[in-house]
Amino acid sequence: MKSEAEVKQTLRDWIIKAAGGKISQEQLQNDTPIIEERIITSLQIMDLILQLEKITGKPLDVEQLKPGVFRNIDSIYENFCGENGDEN
Amino acid sequence: MKTKGEIDFENLQGLHWHKMGQSSFTGSLLELFKDLDQYFLRWAAKWKAQEYYFPPFLSAAQMQKLDYFKSFPHLITIPVVLDDAQDNLKAFSEKAVNPQGSILLTQLSDVRQVLTPAACYHFYDELEGSNLHQAKFVTTRCVCYRREKQYTPLQRQWAFSMREIVCLGGAEEVKTYLAEFEDLLQQFFQAQGLPVKFEYATDPFFNPASNPKYLMQKLDPVKKEMIYDGQLSIGSLNFHRSFFGETFSIKQNETPVNSACVAFGLERWMYMMVRERGIAPEAWTL
Repeated sequence: MKSEAEVKQTLRDWIIKAAGGKISQEQLQNDTPIIEERIITSLQIMDLILQLEKITGKPLDVEQLKPGVFRNIDSIYENFCGENGDEN
Repeated sequence: MKTKGEIDFENLQGLHWHKMGQSSFTGSLLELFKDLDQYFLRWAAKWKAQEYYFPPFLSAAQMQKLDYFKSFPHLITIPVVLDDAQDNLKAFSEKAVNPQGSILLTQLSDVRQVLTPAACYHFYDELEGSNLHQAKFVTTRCVCYRREKQYTPLQRQWAFSMREIVCLGGAEEVKTYLAEFEDLLQQFFQAQGLPVKFEYATDPFFNPASNPKYLMQKLDPVKKEMIYDGQLSIGSLNFHRSFFGETFSIKQNETPVNSACVAFGLERWMYMMVRERGIAPEAWTL
């Protein structure tokens, strides 16, 4: 099992690659709003979900998704990978 | 007097319900329709919104830019005309309608239009390629067409009237507009004693689970509906971010504008007024 820092770094790398130059490693903080600021588009959300399923090794039910869970790297970790991860 | 919920809307005085999903009305009901729209126009005037009249058709090519046909194929109504070749018209004229009332179409001309599914689309089409110097507020009322599985008088219709008040500008101006409008509506519903609550909602996408736009709306709600009595959406507040600004190249200071619309379904407001206040028109005054 990867550590919290490793998982967040994996997410950060994926987001920066998906954003295609919209944001740099230095600019993307754990609390940077990735949807609100349109760093990730609606088309990339599907890929992000697949990426999360890969990280957690669990399928993700899109109908159960709630507002705010993809707000930033911290909230993604908290909702899908942290102690409360199973709730979503 | 009948109590709330027992009103027979199909036989409401002054209303003619067409089972295909349309209402005609006259007399006090028509006055209610006009009064409600005047009320919406008074709200539009708070933002000095410029009023527009729009025709019923929208270009399919413009709607395609919005991915409309992928997202809402189940709602769309398409106007068609016959190919004007003499033999084609003759064949049609000889057997145009079957005994069940269905039109027996012959060869069609190219179909390039759709009937308006929501009033505000006309503005983005109208303002395409423009550069705004300041936030722009506009309003229109259109008959809108949305196919549904079943229809109910005033509540769910194929053809219905929608008043929209739209703001185009910078993100902060647009967000402020929506917040102020929501406050105004909250106060209005409270003052009038109308049981309307605001709830986050998503648009009625086709195959929602496989549509990234639906997913995005779930994760980052941009639509709030005005839900009457826990059962019927009578309007909505929608934040589009820069979606229309980018798609139609509408800019402010060379940056794609953000936009938001506040929409009211007039027949649904009529339903609410009659159901809440009873069938005596004197009680419909706002």
